[in-house]
Amino acid sequence: MFILLLAATLGFQSVAQESALVQRLEQVATLIRENRLTEAERQLAPIARAAPATMNLLGTIRAKQGRLDEAEALFLQAIRKDEKFTAARLNLANVYLLKRTPEKAIVQLKESLRLQPDNAEAAHELAELLLAEGHFDECIAFIQKQRQSRPISPELLVMLGDAYLGKGAVNEAEEPYLEALEGRLDNAGALLGLAQISRAKGEIREASLYIARIASLTADSQSPEFLYKFALIAMSVGMFDPAQAALERTLKLRPNEPFYLLALGVVWLRRGDLFEADKIFRRVIELQPDNASAQLHLGYVLLNQKKYSEARRWLEKSAQSRTPIPEVFYYLGLVAQEQNDDARAINLFERTIQKLPDYVHARVALGSSYMKLKDYTRARQELEIAVKLDPDEPTAHYNLALLYARLKDTERAQQEMRIIEKLKAKGVAADSGVVVLPPITHPRQN
Amino acid sequence: MPYHRKLSLLVVALLAINLPRSGAAQKPSRPAARVQVTFEEMSPQATKINWIHNNAHSSDRQLPETVGAGCAFLDYDNDGWMDIYLVNSGPSDFFTPTTPLKNALYHNNHDGTFTDVTDKAKVGGGRFGMGVAAADYDGDGYIDLYITNYGPNILYHNNGDGTFTDVTEKADVTALGWSTCAVWFDFDNDGKLDLFVSSFVFYDKSQNPLCTDPSLQRRYYCVPRLFKPQPSRLFRNRGDGTFEDVSRESGIADHPGKSFGAVATDVNNDGLIDLFVANDTMPNFLFLNKGKGKFEEIGLAAGVAYGQSGKPRSGMGVDAIDYDADGWQDLFVANIDQEFFSLYHNERELIFNDQPGEIAPATQLLSGWGLKFFDYDNDGDPDLLLVNGHPDDMIESRIPRVRYREPLLMFENTGGEFKDVSAKSGAIFAKVFSGRGMAVGDFDNDGHLDVLISNNGEAPLLLQNKGANQNNWLGLQLLATKSNPAAVGAIVTWQAGGVTRRRLKTGGGSYLSSHDPREVLGVSTATKIDWIEIRWPSGKVDKLTNLPLNTYVRVLEGSGLITK
Repeated sequence: MFILLLAATLGFQSVAQESALVQRLEQVATLIRENRLTEAERQLAPIARAAPATMNLLGTIRAKQGRLDEAEALFLQAIRKDEKFTAARLNLANVYLLKRTPEKAIVQLKESLRLQPDNAEAAHELAELLLAEGHFDECIAFIQKQRQSRPISPELLVMLGDAYLGKGAVNEAEEPYLEALEGRLDNAGALLGLAQISRAKGEIREASLYIARIASLTADSQSPEFLYKFALIAMSVGMFDPAQAALERTLKLRPNEPFYLLALGVVWLRRGDLFEADKIFRRVIELQPDNASAQLHLGYVLLNQKKYSEARRWLEKSAQSRTPIPEVFYYLGLVAQEQNDDARAINLFERTIQKLPDYVHARVALGSSYMKLKDYTRARQELEIAVKLDPDEPTAHYNLALLYARLKDTERAQQEMRIIEKLKAKGVAADSGVVVLPPITHPRQN
Repeated sequence: MPYHRKLSLLVVALLAINLPRSGAAQKPSRPAARVQVTFEEMSPQATKINWIHNNAHSSDRQLPETVGAGCAFLDYDNDGWMDIYLVNSGPSDFFTPTTPLKNALYHNNHDGTFTDVTDKAKVGGGRFGMGVAAADYDGDGYIDLYITNYGPNILYHNNGDGTFTDVTEKADVTALGWSTCAVWFDFDNDGKLDLFVSSFVFYDKSQNPLCTDPSLQRRYYCVPRLFKPQPSRLFRNRGDGTFEDVSRESGIADHPGKSFGAVATDVNNDGLIDLFVANDTMPNFLFLNKGKGKFEEIGLAAGVAYGQSGKPRSGMGVDAIDYDADGWQDLFVANIDQEFFSLYHNERELIFNDQPGEIAPATQLLSGWGLKFFDYDNDGDPDLLLVNGHPDDMIESRIPRVRYREPLLMFENTGGEFKDVSAKSGAIFAKVFSGRGMAVGDFDNDGHLDVLISNNGEAPLLLQNKGANQNNWLGLQLLATKSNPAAVGAIVTWQAGGVTRRRLKTGGGSYLSSHDPREVLGVSTATKIDWIEIRWPSGKVDKLTNLPLNTYVRVLEGSGLITK
């Protein structure tokens, strides 16, 4: 949101003159708010163009027109003329966000706060940006400093909690969330933070209760960012209904946001509806043909539908991205395995393991390929590593059982099958296929 | 006691069965252009088969209601034409029919119509029927019937005069409990047909738990996971009309299962017939015949017991064939929706690798029962027909995209890989059914194998293979003298048009059903079969040359005799 404040020197002698001008500028600001940009620019034309306030308004018009370079130049000119013109600085920060140069935005926001330490909006934006950019320590330090000098808003408290969570300090995160709730029991952001804490502590029931409460509080939320975040957390505790509802709402608010679509596709995937997931991932690829994550997910869906040739095509596209997601090589390995090319599969699994040495599924798959090639020594090595990495992984135990059975060690084979039975009794289910999805990355919040 | 058969059979062996296309052998080579083979539904009005399966469907959703029933092609009167047997539900502890229900035997009138001869033949069943296995267990030259039931099974001995006698008690093959598939085969190579009977779960009226979905406020059929498994049975044929239950000493009874489909084949080419048995919600069994009457269950080590992640699936129909002509028997099992069907390629050394290819994506949402590899286009290689239907009639309210009635699927073998040709195999493939049993046989003796399907709670389907491609063929009826009467385990090798092909005669396969025992050898457009070799289970080898085309012939073990 651009700031249309006129708090800048207009450079006129007479109060009457200045008052008339302010009135005209306010009319222009109204037109801009109403998106009547041509009319606004026409009315702005006869006004002293060199005045910082005029430049600020014209910069806003340009920014709204998507002419970001011109907007940036105008805001910079306005600041040069009046360095205390914080509205122009905040607008400039917004332009930098639109130009995807958040570090420059941070500089402008910090400068705004130096000039106007009480500017709550700048403080809020800076904290939010530091958080979004992953500068968790700086974000925490900034909010704590704010907190020492004045009472801070529940929103800043939530951001403080989020920053602690971001750096993995689960215990420190709890206090600001709880404080945020003291002011407002219906603070969905704080509840979402507490849900994440419960989830991180393995308290799934508590997390689910928070999620259910947030779902009822945010039924009409208009914040796609919040809804998206909520959906990811709901998904992580297996609450697919609220996750799906939230994502469908975000997509009503921003119909073509690939991140939201991707997340919705993953919800369908988790619900086992490969057909819906397939449709959604294809839509993301239509919007962003080079979206490596969507390509990977689509490849994964096709792999699970046993459409190996097509799966391979999408996975290979995903692998060609500049920074490929390491899991893509694992899935390509699985395709190779299914296509009876175990030498290639082994190569791909080893490549995955180089990047992700603790990736249990890649170890199991590698063991399985060695087994197919009757290299039982290496198969056993990999499968035993897999079981050490995750003793509760049924697929690793199954492959070990298969291996021991082929080595005629019936007793150990049965022992492994009994472990699977025990895991089943504990509720640890084997994946229906081969599934482990990489986490979805968060979109930048700008 | 020496195993013998009636002399009359030898006389019959010298006579041609029929020659519906006797002139075809002289046909010149035909155009190479491929013509798609299609199947056409024969209407009840045309066939006069008006029988309808009653599944005893109830609001209590008793499990046996949903798994039946089977069907068979058999020539009970030795007239050279395939008759039809259909299995029905009947009285049980949870079901009292309001009108009498019976199984049905339809006599083939040789003109595309059939006559219901059930009452005359005395094969009405009268129990809660499941499946049927037809074979000449006593080697008297007439095909007998073994009917599996929820409740005591029935063995009908064919009297040779159009009637049968229930000899179950005398033969000692009652097999109480809930039996599903039965397979005739000779496990000890003594030339007599033994009997394997699959057992499903332990069940009676009081064992039906309440499976409900609160949102539907109705019961649905419980998953078999909730019931206790039962061991299957193996009966050794003593050769005097009686059988000995060898389930325990053979090792079969050591493995309680929830067994449906079973197929008898030789997975390691050692001349001893093994058994592949599908289990529902339990690991499948591969019983390796170790000789001396012993079986070892090797499903896990062989890689055919579980799904990829070590999770048991819901196996239903099965079959076995060497689909890629590498000389080793491969296995197939159909599962429930989302589990995919498996085509297990035999990698030798008793290891199998699941390579379903195009079959897997096509079956993702389907639940498969009847299925059979057969050469539907007479090009010499085995193709595959799948019969599907979901067991839960309320599934559509519970799982999106999965349907209760499901389509049939036809896959053509394109050189070791299967291609889905359903869309161009006839209008019937656009329809949906609650398919269960399926038998393959040539009811019109045109050399193009037809299909009989039994639907749960619906009329059966008789599909006529229109054989549009006019490929050449030769049908063999194998008449054993020393080997088992069904010639299960015989290996037929033939050469035509420069191509040598080989087929092992399996026992059972599909689901609850029994097939035309004749072997139709497709030779594509070749106008001559150079030679045929039959390696009988007894070890005898018959080599045949100077063979006719497009007709059925009888081959007598050890005599090498062949008659037009």
